[in-house]
Amino acid sequence: MTDARDVPPTSGPAAMKVSPAAAIERPARAPSATDRRLRTLFLRVGLFVAILVAWQIGSTNAPAFVLPSPERVWRVWISLVATPSFWTDFGITFGRILAGFAFAAVVGTVLGLVLGASRLLGEAFEPLLTVINTVSSAIWAIFALIWFGLSNWTTIFVVFMTAMPLILTNVWQGTRTVNVEFVELAQTFRMSRRQVLTKIYLPTILPPFFSGARLAFGFGARVSLVAESLGATSGIGYRLRQAADLVQTDQVFAWTLTLIALMIVLETLILKPLERHLFKWKERVPG
Amino acid sequence: MSVVALQSVSKCFFRRDGEQLEVLRNIDLDVPERSIVALLGASGCGKSTLLNIIAGLVEPDHGRVLLNGTPSAAFKDWRSMTYMFQEDRLLPWRTAAQNVAFGLEATKLSRAERRVRVAETLDLVGLSQFANVYPYELSGGMRSRVALARSLATEPSILLMDEPFSKLDPSIRAQMHAEVLRIAALRKVTIIFVTHDVEEAVVLADKVVVLHPRPGRVRETISVPLAYPRDPLATAFTDQVRHLRRIL
Repeated sequence: MTDARDVPPTSGPAAMKVSPAAAIERPARAPSATDRRLRTLFLRVGLFVAILVAWQIGSTNAPAFVLPSPERVWRVWISLVATPSFWTDFGITFGRILAGFAFAAVVGTVLGLVLGASRLLGEAFEPLLTVINTVSSAIWAIFALIWFGLSNWTTIFVVFMTAMPLILTNVWQGTRTVNVEFVELAQTFRMSRRQVLTKIYLPTILPPFFSGARLAFGFGARVSLVAESLGATSGIGYRLRQAADLVQTDQVFAWTLTLIALMIVLETLILKPLERHLFKWKERVPG
Repeated sequence: MSVVALQSVSKCFFRRDGEQLEVLRNIDLDVPERSIVALLGASGCGKSTLLNIIAGLVEPDHGRVLLNGTPSAAFKDWRSMTYMFQEDRLLPWRTAAQNVAFGLEATKLSRAERRVRVAETLDLVGLSQFANVYPYELSGGMRSRVALARSLATEPSILLMDEPFSKLDPSIRAQMHAEVLRIAALRKVTIIFVTHDVEEAVVLADKVVVLHPRPGRVRETISVPLAYPRDPLATAFTDQVRHLRRIL
C-alpha cells in the first residue's frame, strides 16, 4: 500500500509538511531492477551479434542471390537511400498506410461507440465482425484490385479493412468498461450528454483505443506491402516485387531493413513516449 | 424557510419478477436552512432512494418535493446542490486538482475562475500540495478529501452525502467528520446525509430522522441539542446514542 499519511483534520501548517513525494510509492529494491535491465540489454546485444554472425556464415556458403552478406546488404542500402526514387516510394507507401489507418481510426471509433451504445446493434453486428476478421488480407487485396484497379485506393482499402476491425473491436470493448458510477457522478453535476461522452466515455476508451490502434498500424503497415506488390505501380511493395522478379535479393534485403528501421523509429520516438504521456495516471506495477 | 421539504413522498420499484416493491411510504421531511440532518436507518429502508429523490435523480410516485419552496420539477438551481457518494468516485485519469474542477466544468465559469476556485477548495481541505497528484498515489483519507473538495468547489448551499465515510478507517472517519463540520459552518452549507451508524449521526447532525424498513417510513425525528464539537465520550452524547439505538 502507499506510505501516504493522512493529513490532520485541521489543515494548519502542520498538514503542509507532508511532501507529495511521500505519497508516491517507490519499488522496494530499486538497484536489482537496474541490474536486470542491464542484463537484458547485454542479452539483446548478444542476440543481435549472434544473428549477424549466423547471417555472415550462411552467406559465405550460399550464392549472393540466395543470401547476400550483411556487408553487401549494407552497401546496397546506402546506395538505395541515395537514389531519389527511394524517398518518393517511401513517402507513397507511408502516405497510403497513414490514409488507410486514419480512415480506419475514424470509422472504427465511431462504429465502436455506436455498437457500444446499442446492445441490439452490437448483437446484430457481432457475426459480421467475425467474418471481416477471418478474411485474409490477400483476399482483400485481390478484391481491391478488381474494384479500384492499379491505384492508391487499392492499398488504402486493404489497410483499412485490416486495421478497422481491430480498432472497432477495442473501442467497442472499451465502451463496456465505462464505469456507471462515473456517469452517475456527472449526472449529479447536471452535465450534458456531450459532456458525459467527452469527460467520462472518451478517457475510458482511450487506453483500449490506443492499444488497438497500435496493433492496427502494425498490421496495416505489413499488409500494405502485400497490396502494393499485387496492385500498385509505385511504393515499397512494388519495388520489393520488382527486385524479387529481377532476383536482386540484396535489394529485397535492403528494403526489408528500411521497413524494420521505420517501425523501430515509430515505436521508440512516437508511440512509446505518447503512451507514457497519455497514461501516466495509471498505477505502475513495481518490478 | 426550509431548504428541502418532502410532503408524503412514496416510491415503489418494480422488481424483475414483476412484483412491486414498496420502498418509501408517506415520508415527511423538513430541512431548515444551515441545518445538518441525518437520515438514519438499517439497510433496506430506502435511505439512498430518499436522497436520490431529493437530488432529483429519482421521481417519487406520490407526494411533493420542495426545494427552497419550489416544486422539484420547476426547480432550476440544481448546481446549488451537490452529491457525495459512498465511494469517492475520483476519475483515475485526472489529478486531484482536475478532479476538484470536474463539477465546475458544467458551469459557465471561465478557465481562470475555475483555477482560482480549485486552488481555494483544495486549500480548504488541506491538500494544496497534492494538486498535481493522481488518485492512485493518494491514501483513502486523502481521496475522501478530494471528493469532498469536488463537492464543495461549486459552492453549493445544499450538500447531500450517501454514507460518504463508511469505507474509511475509524480514526480517519473522525477527522473527516471534524472537517465536514468546520466547512459546513464556514461555507454556510445545509447538509443532508444518510448513515446506518448511530454515532456518526449524533456526531454530525442537529436533527436525526430515524427510518424503519420495508417499506421505508419515518419512525421518529429527534433533535440533537448538543454543542459542537461533540465528544463521543461525554455522558450526554452516549445518552443520545443509547436513545437512538432504542428507537432503531
